[in-house]
Amino acid sequence: MKNRINFRYIFLAFLSVFVFASSFQNLNAQNAKKNKVRLKAQYIKIMGGESYIDITATSKIEKQNVRVSGIEITVYNELEEENIELGKVTTNMKGENKFIFKNFNSILADSSNIYNILISFKGNETFKKAKKRISFKNADITAKMVVKDSINYIRARLTDPNANSPIIEQDLTIQVQRLFGPLILGDEFNTTDDDGTIIVPIEEGIPGVDGNLTFEVVLNDSDDYGTIKALVTAPIGTPIIDESTFDDRKMWSPRNKTPIFLLIFPNLLIVGIWGLIVYLIINLFKISKSKN
Amino acid sequence: MKEQDKNAKNSRRNFLKKGIALGAFSATAVAIASFQKDGVEETGEKVKLLSPDGEVVEIDKAYVKPAQDLHLPLDKDKIREGIPNRKFVMVIDLARCKNALKCVDACNKHHHITGKNAWLKVYKMQESKDTAPYWMPSTCQHCDQPACVTVCPVDATFKRRDGLVLIDNERCVGCRFCMAACPYSARVFNWEQPDQGEITMNMDMTQHGSTPEHAGLPSIKGTVDKCDFCPHAIEKGELPHCVSACPNGVFYFGDKYEDTVTNGDETLRLGKLLEDKAGYRLMEGLNTQPSVFYLPPKDRSDDFKDGLKDYNEFQSVEKPEES
Amino acid sequence: MKIQDKLLNDLAPRKFDKLGVIWISILVLIIIAGIIAYIDQIIKGQVVTNMRDYALWGIYISNFVFFVATSFVGSVIVAVLRLTHNEWRTPLVRVAEIITLASIVMAGITITLDMARPDRLLNLFIYARIQSPITWDVIIIPTTIAISFLLLYFPLLPDLAILKDYFKDKKPRLSRWYGRFSLNWKGSDTQKAIQTKSIKIIAIMIVPIGLMLQTIDAWLFSTTYRIGWDSTNMGAYFIAGAVVAGVAALIVVLYVVRRTRKLEEYITDLHFDKLGKLLALACLIYLYFNMNEYIVPTYTPTKGEELHLTTLLTGSYSYLFWLVTIGGLVLPVILLLFKKGRKPLPMFFIGLVVVIGSWWKRYIIITPTLLHPFLPIQGVPESWHHYFPSLHEWLITVATLAMALLIITILVRYLPVVPIQRTADEQEKLNNDIKH
Repeated sequence: MKNRINFRYIFLAFLSVFVFASSFQNLNAQNAKKNKVRLKAQYIKIMGGESYIDITATSKIEKQNVRVSGIEITVYNELEEENIELGKVTTNMKGENKFIFKNFNSILADSSNIYNILISFKGNETFKKAKKRISFKNADITAKMVVKDSINYIRARLTDPNANSPIIEQDLTIQVQRLFGPLILGDEFNTTDDDGTIIVPIEEGIPGVDGNLTFEVVLNDSDDYGTIKALVTAPIGTPIIDESTFDDRKMWSPRNKTPIFLLIFPNLLIVGIWGLIVYLIINLFKISKSKN
Repeated sequence: MKEQDKNAKNSRRNFLKKGIALGAFSATAVAIASFQKDGVEETGEKVKLLSPDGEVVEIDKAYVKPAQDLHLPLDKDKIREGIPNRKFVMVIDLARCKNALKCVDACNKHHHITGKNAWLKVYKMQESKDTAPYWMPSTCQHCDQPACVTVCPVDATFKRRDGLVLIDNERCVGCRFCMAACPYSARVFNWEQPDQGEITMNMDMTQHGSTPEHAGLPSIKGTVDKCDFCPHAIEKGELPHCVSACPNGVFYFGDKYEDTVTNGDETLRLGKLLEDKAGYRLMEGLNTQPSVFYLPPKDRSDDFKDGLKDYNEFQSVEKPEES
Repeated sequence: MKIQDKLLNDLAPRKFDKLGVIWISILVLIIIAGIIAYIDQIIKGQVVTNMRDYALWGIYISNFVFFVATSFVGSVIVAVLRLTHNEWRTPLVRVAEIITLASIVMAGITITLDMARPDRLLNLFIYARIQSPITWDVIIIPTTIAISFLLLYFPLLPDLAILKDYFKDKKPRLSRWYGRFSLNWKGSDTQKAIQTKSIKIIAIMIVPIGLMLQTIDAWLFSTTYRIGWDSTNMGAYFIAGAVVAGVAALIVVLYVVRRTRKLEEYITDLHFDKLGKLLALACLIYLYFNMNEYIVPTYTPTKGEELHLTTLLTGSYSYLFWLVTIGGLVLPVILLLFKKGRKPLPMFFIGLVVVIGSWWKRYIIITPTLLHPFLPIQGVPESWHHYFPSLHEWLITVATLAMALLIITILVRYLPVVPIQRTADEQEKLNNDIKH
């Protein structure tokens, strides 16, 4: 009896060592070949729109920073007891993706009203697993265009919706939407006063299609609140004037917009000359058909 | 009645199909959608959109409105017309150019340029022996009075509404009159079938014809090529490759009507930039009305001589490494 | 009216002698070599030439311009001399018409050889932009071909009828061909009336058409910004150059034809004398335009002009420039001022020199300008800073010249080089005048 038990134990011990050793080796081997992935996450909230997390995955391969595309990132809502999976996204060709909070209300904050989000990558044959935590509190920006003494201002207020109180001494940026990125107006940072408010004058003469401009009031990448953006549309821009000659008849226009005199004069010449040539060819026939 | 329902169904289906196509871009734009008021009333009607990684997501219709109405992607017949209400310009800051040649490398790579003449070149300029030398990157100037377009006999090169001058390589007959007419030496010619290797293989598989909006994909023997201001990048809201590649912030790009240009880091008012730094255009006296502005090489950050080490008078396209 | 037997025997086409056969064989061989080179160019692309992004036009274009210039001879000899009542032109007109037709046809062919995508030739018609000078070329060249053909054909009709009769017994098959092409010419009053009216119209038409052809050719260059091309002088300059090239070519061909066919009675020393004077005048006018083009800008040269003029007058192209100008224009003028210089044999050599000079002159107009762009030539291989035609280009170009000569030779072989009917008419008129 004793011997049998001994054998079983020895066998188990041997097996476990073997399994452990090989898996350890496996793990090590995997770790030795795999690259580290760095995850970057930025929380962005658009007032009246979506909230989402901008995820970027990079890795240092052969001393060069490259984007990691095609890896699956899982987003969790970290709570005290458990992590609730909110969804998955796969990074695109540029190693980026947006995880949009489809229903922000379904995410739970902890006791201090802080939302904790964990994004994690399980790892694959080429890359080690990685995770990144971001935390933010919910905040709102309400922005409006006001006119005083015929000067346009943007007034924006940064508030904490849970406590319904203003958030003071945060830096907001006013910018106008442009094609390749926003153009900052005024000072780069406007600090919210005791009422959480900023008032910034908007200069005249900003061009826009039909005079329509979309302004953004942005709390950029703050430690507590992430990035919050409020949009204000106002027709206070200078309407753009299209100077393109595309519709005109120019020497460089396509053939359907030839200058008139080039349409008339050369064609008259061509018709005239070829008319005569045709007449001459007819004469050849007349000579040929001549009876007497 | 049934017939009408069927038609209504079909048109809705068609609309959705179009919506999905539009959605490929809108999915990104949705996040920055513009609104009339602070809040948006959800209509309850969901629209299926394609997210950038191919997932189909359902978003409330109220959010689907592209912020910048670029009317993209362009239909085939609109390629010759271009994007409305835009006029693309470039500003090149000669005070910052150090002949790093990253712009040339990026352009050559993204347009698969394999010939012996790059489309974007950095010239070693010195107007007279008494004035100082400087580095001058030169692209196609996308002139508003383009001599090249005027002389093309077959309408193969054309000027668009948004200012771009592009080439239809399927139409070009290879007469090279445009090259003779261009005073900026901006055009190159495919004297033989260019060896672009992989991309030609890829193109056969994806059945991509050549499009004027992405020149060089592929380059066609016996036709002319030049800088296209990267409409294929603009359509994605990205800057042309030379602009993004420059490590010294030399290239600015933007819409003249918006009076704003950016080099990726700085976004500035165009008018103010030209005024502050005394911008000018190349060969203004020829009256070609180019779309590229230059900022004089004043208060240069580096010595001109530092750029000489990378200067090769006889080569502008790197030969692929021989294995 | 019966044509004198002597006239007929002198002027009727004859079979090639041994020399003629050798001549044709050489031409055909050269043409075949050119075709092979062209096929290679189609397959490999124009990389087989030495044209590159800076020297983007080469001898294909300068050859083309040469052919266009030579085709002006019809307008000058046939039309202008007619409108100015220079009756001595009669024995010369047929050769002039033949050269005109051959040149303009070859011009049309030569320009297509320069197109890198000749498979897209139809684009020039379907998608034509009339704002482009090349489109004007595409219009005027077929027009000139048509009118040059008619210029040759209408006066030919009586001669074809005569030859039909002449060869009826000796060569019945040939006779039938002449018959077909003579369009039933019987010399009736109706036919003569139509023919006379038509020739009058053609003679008037061909002058403006010829002038437009030369001008459009010049505007291919002057509608660009380039130094050396952007000149208000170009149109008139090219017209004058065309008279020089055309008359010189005529003299050369006339001499050869006269010698081989023993036509000294018809193409006399007087004709050469007159042509010599005409050529001298043309060269003087052309030299005047050359002065305006090259000397005047040296007075206040801009940077580009100075570089360009230095290259031509004292620099890398100076050797060629002075050879062409002094050897190809000044020296001929001096020689032609002397009566001895206007005798047939000296005229042949002078004409040959002027023709060759004309060909190289167009090379000088095209290449140096292209090698002096506004922006410096950088970023391209060192060889791209120069241009000299490659073997392919030479083979193809020489083949086009051979083809032009072949066309002329064949037309001279089968058509009476001196108009038979007209000569007979004139002789009769002369006899009648003497009688009375």
